[in-house]
Amino acid sequence: MFGIVFNGNGFVWQSYPIFHLGFTRILHIIVSVMYRPPVCHNRNAFLSAFPNNVVSCRHEGPVWQVAWAHPMYGNILASCSYDRKVIIWKEENGTWEKTYEYTGHDSSVNSVCWAPHDYGLILACGSSDGAISLLSYTGDGQWEVKKISNAHTIGCNAVSWAPAVVPGSLIEQPSGQKPNYIKRFASGGCDNLVKIWKEEDGQWKEEQKLEAHSDWVRDVAWAPSIGLPTSTIASCSQDGRVFIWTCDDASGNSWSPKLLHKFNDVVWHVSWSITANILAVSGGDNKVTLWKESVDGLWACISDVNKGQGGVSAVTEGQQNEQ
Amino acid sequence: GVPTPFNPSHSVSAGFCSRKHPMATGAACVFVVRRDQDIYMETLRKLFNESHGIFVGLQRCEEERAARARNAQLVQVSKNYRSVIRACMEDMHQAASKSVLSGQRFSAFFFQVSILSAMELIWNLCEILFVEAAPAGPLLLRLLDWVQLHICDVDNMVREVLSSENPSKHKLFWNVVDIFVLQGRMDEARHLLSKEAIANPTSMKMYKILDDLMKKMPLGNTQTLTEMELKWQHWHEECQRYLQDGTFASNSHMESICKILLGDENAILEKKELMTTWYHFLVTRLLYSHPTVKPMELRFYAQSSMDMFLGEESSPEPLDTILMAAFEFELHQVIKECSVALSNWWFVAHLTDLLDHCKLLQSHNLYFGSNMREFLLLEYASGLFSHHSLWQLGVDYFDHCPEYGRVYLELHIERIPLNTEQKALKVLRICEQRQMHEQVRSICKIMAMKALRNNRLGSALSWSIRAKDAAFATLISDRFLKDYCERGCFSDLDLIDNLGPSMLLSDRLTFLGKYREFHRLYGEKRFSEAARLLLMLMTAHIAPCSFWMTLLTDALPLLEQKEVIFSAEQTYELMRCLEDLTAGKLDRQKFQDDDVETMKVEMLRLALARNLARVIVKEGTLEGS
Repeated sequence: MFGIVFNGNGFVWQSYPIFHLGFTRILHIIVSVMYRPPVCHNRNAFLSAFPNNVVSCRHEGPVWQVAWAHPMYGNILASCSYDRKVIIWKEENGTWEKTYEYTGHDSSVNSVCWAPHDYGLILACGSSDGAISLLSYTGDGQWEVKKISNAHTIGCNAVSWAPAVVPGSLIEQPSGQKPNYIKRFASGGCDNLVKIWKEEDGQWKEEQKLEAHSDWVRDVAWAPSIGLPTSTIASCSQDGRVFIWTCDDASGNSWSPKLLHKFNDVVWHVSWSITANILAVSGGDNKVTLWKESVDGLWACISDVNKGQGGVSAVTEGQQNEQ
Repeated sequence: GVPTPFNPSHSVSAGFCSRKHPMATGAACVFVVRRDQDIYMETLRKLFNESHGIFVGLQRCEEERAARARNAQLVQVSKNYRSVIRACMEDMHQAASKSVLSGQRFSAFFFQVSILSAMELIWNLCEILFVEAAPAGPLLLRLLDWVQLHICDVDNMVREVLSSENPSKHKLFWNVVDIFVLQGRMDEARHLLSKEAIANPTSMKMYKILDDLMKKMPLGNTQTLTEMELKWQHWHEECQRYLQDGTFASNSHMESICKILLGDENAILEKKELMTTWYHFLVTRLLYSHPTVKPMELRFYAQSSMDMFLGEESSPEPLDTILMAAFEFELHQVIKECSVALSNWWFVAHLTDLLDHCKLLQSHNLYFGSNMREFLLLEYASGLFSHHSLWQLGVDYFDHCPEYGRVYLELHIERIPLNTEQKALKVLRICEQRQMHEQVRSICKIMAMKALRNNRLGSALSWSIRAKDAAFATLISDRFLKDYCERGCFSDLDLIDNLGPSMLLSDRLTFLGKYREFHRLYGEKRFSEAARLLLMLMTAHIAPCSFWMTLLTDALPLLEQKEVIFSAEQTYELMRCLEDLTAGKLDRQKFQDDDVETMKVEMLRLALARNLARVIVKEGTLEGS
């Protein structure tokens, strides 16, 4: 199930965890496209989407992605843009204000993703200068920055955090104390690689390198976990392929890819449902498709939505081959 | 689901409409896509609500130990589900007929009603074959009931004919007689035939024979199978004799009826339009050629019936495949086909659950280790969570999924939009009942943050206490204190007065509570207690340093009282506090910063000194002197 729900003030936080990359990202960008003044090109756009709010500072280039923080921190939104900036916005008393602006990247920042709320307020940003920066809120309006330089050669296109669940916790009874989480996130870049980063002793290290794509990786999405020992990552690329990577052991050492499908055009985004049993894929072929893993381990398309056409066909396994 | 542009009739509205923008590549629209449009139709909500009650009842009811009683119990549950489906269909019919519906909505209604009808048809068959597991003999009777229930056109035709002046002359007369025969409704057929006999005395003889044959036809489950078979064999032979004798030769209608009675497939097939479906044909065939058919034999007759009936022209539709799978006793196939054909999980989830209770489903190890029943229930319940009020039903479904229900519930319940306090409390109650502490904390924190953003400090404080969030409680207490400093009074006194043991959550909160207590004591003129409390707040370091000035200022009126309140020791303590405070400040206050501040300090010093003087005298004076 997924429902993108909006209210009159703009996005309501429900859109956050359902697809915080992927589907809503398209909508957010469409929104920004739609609301720009007729003349100028795609700037200043996104917060003018909030009809009642005045925004005092803006991006000076296309906004690539927005991400909501967990509502327990308030209404906080992060945005990243071609203008190399990452801006964090906060809503106070019905108005949106910029609480922090990060300009530490040398080129377009392509992706932002908030870490699971259990880790506090941490934002990962991936940029075309190849670096990934991690902004952590330390209190009193202060943000600490850690930078991973040269994470990907040429550029980093996507970042996605692993859920704050200890793999296998569903099966082994939890001890009741707060578990020791190991912070991890995945990134995809122009070097055709998906990389997994792990925090060790306060430093971020590259843990794994996942190779399967033959062109730029456009998006990565780490699937939410229900506590099974398997970890899953979806990645999509310029080469039209979507891979599902799974790792069966808790230590995270052996990832094996499975090809979901080869599309006819570049695939831009992938996004998981809340319980990670459905993957939404969107791409240059103007379609949004939903995929589910079947009993025999193959992925089947369960529906597709043709953008702009309003019709829908329930695709059964037989028809899937037409794709 | 069907992508619809923003629908203003929904309570949650999209802020963006689907305006096409010239500069965008392609249509710049926002699509609100829902997988289950069904959830939003009013009448289906009734289906979801009522079936939820039946589902929970089934999970919780005590299993009858005797097999027969258990069987009866499960059949009753199945009938309940079916009656809910039928009630839903009725409501839709009524709603459709009451309002004038535009073309699109009418067809949507019609479509929905036909889906419900199909569901009831399938469920009914599954009830007969799987839940009740009717044995040979009663099986056919149930199937006859099933067919009679679902071919509705008959009743209209019957009414038309019966209400006419001269029924036997009505052009549909023989159609109605035929259909009665085809459906094994012998008494009704005989009744109609009698009218024909009266109107047409020449055929009296033929009629009497036919009537007799129909009366004698062995039907019913009051005998053993062998008895039944024997009787039936005799009867069949008798019919055969009459046919071969040419008794009915002069009346083609009666002759064809006799052929039908003999189970002549061609004769039955001639009445294709009356039967309308291959499964009707199947049941008629069985009635007149194999009335003691065993459940496991059904599959052969079903397949051949469908082939004969559909012939070359048409191919089976999804409904046909589902029914065929049922006749073949391929449970998993039935569930699979239904899952594909239907647009939401309601049907398969509930049916599978029922079948599971009948112990008919082997545990299939699906890729995530759960079984089919749970898989379908999880899907269905997940779908419910996208609705603003039906999510509450989903909770119970998750509760009855032993493997993943809890974790699914944890993931979904955190994402319910908490637009109102009542809703938040509802969600909280559910989490607390299930000891979902993480979710409780998370929700309380969210509500506290919301309240704080809207400046409702009291609400924010009570939420953060409930969340046991010390840091937040400290933050809010600071805000309260700041408010007090600015305005001179407290907001939300009730809350602060009744903090009780939760006061201990954070130091700042404790201070807030105690400080308020000080004010109360002062208001009740219990000065010495107030004084003691005030001093304790500073000496025990409960009060933050930033607040000491305010506390000392609060001490002023106590010092200025006619009666001496502070003892000498207490006065010394106060003086020490003052000195500690000013010592620190001297370096910082370079400029006049606060003339008020310096004046306050001086006044305090004076008051303290005066008090000290008075108290020394007082304490030095002997009693009575």
